Amino acid sequence: MKIKVLAALAAIALLVQQYMIWFYVPVAQSGLVQKIFYMHLPCSWWSLVSFFVVFVASVIYLFNRKPVFDRVAGAAAELGVVFATLALVTGSTWARAEWGHWWLWDPKLTTALIMWYVYAGYLVLRSTPMGRDRKALVCAVLGIVAFLDVPLVFFAANLWGSAHPDGVARQGSGMEIRMWHTVFAGLTAFGFMWGAMLLVRVKQLAHQARLEALLVWDED
Amino acid sequence: MSATTYLFIANAAVWLGVAGYLIFMASKSAGLERRVQQLELLGEDNDG
Repeated sequence: MKIKVLAALAAIALLVQQYMIWFYVPVAQSGLVQKIFYMHLPCSWWSLVSFFVVFVASVIYLFNRKPVFDRVAGAAAELGVVFATLALVTGSTWARAEWGHWWLWDPKLTTALIMWYVYAGYLVLRSTPMGRDRKALVCAVLGIVAFLDVPLVFFAANLWGSAHPDGVARQGSGMEIRMWHTVFAGLTAFGFMWGAMLLVRVKQLAHQARLEALLVWDED
Repeated sequence: MSATTYLFIANAAVWLGVAGYLIFMASKSAGLERRVQQLELLGEDNDG
């Protein structure tokens, strides 16, 4: 029920967000290509939220060893990698249009790429054949250590300077009120979609674990 | 390429990515369903 409501809200909100991107939000001084921002930002933020969820779920798992937290971490990591990939692709497309390069080795982009590789590695680890409890434990440790890179991505522009704007919205950033509406519509729409997909995936992983437990039981 | 083309590419990439992940989840669901059916068949065979 929760999933269906979230999915319905996501579908409606995404349609509204698309309408706002194409017809509602004004064209910025830098031109039409700036509208990529309204897709790039939600992907980027929800990937960071996903990795924060991986971190929190991993910490809780280490304390109480309940498999549900391992599943939440696994599902959130998948979503994080999907959204981080989309953030990298949209960012790269925007960079090509704006700066003339698909990629720049600047601190923000480099730390984001490192983060992507670390969590992709985490997913590879999750798919390796290993005892269930041992794998959950190793993944929980990696889920905590991997999170060290996330604040670096967020604050890279502040810390080292970057061609990319910093992760903290500022007053006087030159954004009109309709631009802010579109930003919040995007974050909300992607939030609903993220929530629905996370719940579905956690549920799937629970079914998979139950099935595997049943098969092991049968083999005995 | 024009600005509209870049905007279109970025937008399409996001929808393709989301669609790809939804397909991945659907295939996982189908796989789980198949395994449940196989188990049920095995159970019936053992009973029979």
